[in-house]
Amino acid sequence: MSAHHNHDDIQSLYEGDQSKLYSGVLGHHGDARSPESKAQVARIWKVTALLSVVTIVEVLLGLLGHGMPHGLLNTLFLVLTLVKAAYIVKVFMHLGDEKKNFVYFVLMPLTLFVWFIISFLMDGSHWLHMNFTQANTITDLFK
Amino acid sequence: MTHAATATHDIEKLNKWGGGRSPFNVSYGKMMMWFFLLSDALTFGALLISYGTTRFFSKVWPDANHVFHAFPGLGDTNAPLMFVSLMTFILILSSVTMVLAVHAGHHGDRQGVIKWMLWTIIGGIAFLSCQAWEWTHLYHTGAWWGSFTDPNTAVESFKHLFNPHKPNVEAVFSTHPELARHATHDFYNYFFLITGFHGAHVTSGVLLNVMILVNTVNGTYERRGHYEMVEKVGLYWHFVDLVWVFVFTCFYLL
Repeated sequence: MSAHHNHDDIQSLYEGDQSKLYSGVLGHHGDARSPESKAQVARIWKVTALLSVVTIVEVLLGLLGHGMPHGLLNTLFLVLTLVKAAYIVKVFMHLGDEKKNFVYFVLMPLTLFVWFIISFLMDGSHWLHMNFTQANTITDLFK
Repeated sequence: MTHAATATHDIEKLNKWGGGRSPFNVSYGKMMMWFFLLSDALTFGALLISYGTTRFFSKVWPDANHVFHAFPGLGDTNAPLMFVSLMTFILILSSVTMVLAVHAGHHGDRQGVIKWMLWTIIGGIAFLSCQAWEWTHLYHTGAWWGSFTDPNTAVESFKHLFNPHKPNVEAVFSTHPELARHATHDFYNYFFLITGFHGAHVTSGVLLNVMILVNTVNGTYERRGHYEMVEKVGLYWHFVDLVWVFVFTCFYLL
């Protein structure tokens, strides 16, 4: 039994004309006026409202949040940014509708950013520290 | 479970990765678009992290509320964050119209695809116009690639970009204003590089959207039987929006 050249299976078209095939999980054709379709459109607008509200909150924090502790403010900005990013990727880019193994395939390389951000920012602040202690002459400034 | 049933199960499991089918149930083109976006995310990430590293390396840094406070047509007004919020909103809305175009495509609704692609293109052009205005405005204030390198630059020309209530700012300006000048130079170099790289993505996105619209109007996708190209270019367009979400946070909020 061979998986190849089985023309009863539409998947075999992957070896041939790509343009004829659209077998993704989103490939079903339905009625645009069906309840499922309307629910999906309603969901899109709901996410739009959510993204707008989060952006407004971010701007308000940026304008009025100066009295807040610096660390708390920055944490809030990062969390809100990640919330926005997650909704864009999950709903607008339909990654939430793909197969789970594909979702991991796309997202797992991005965990490199955790190491990437921590090590580089630490490097930056260490250089600053060195500049104002031994490596540079500007030591009179912040005694 | 019988022995035969187990054997069939094993064969199916083997064949999933044995070729001839997509284990991810994703077509080749769509998967490659995701891979491209993944690599692009690493590029943008590297640029933004490099910006962050330089910022951590600097004793003082320009304050976004002091740098970006102009609004077109309002003259010398002080409206921090307002213009960039408008730009952000435009890009989010154009992402929404894009996902509605993809949705129309899933249902083979050609008129819907045309309508929403048109709105998406308009949104993209509006965003680029806003960016052109902001760049021009900053250019006229003396900011550009390689600006603020001259040691004889007047301190007044960059002092107003810093927030005196932030730590170290007073001390730096009273004894070593050149540190603030270096920071201004770095800030603008990264600003123009990263928003420029993003703007180049928006520009190519608009061009791709126009091509998709032309193909839709010509009925190419209707003859093909599906509108997957709308979805693939839509992924790119959403990614451009996604990057802006991070650029907005890094340059205007943090």
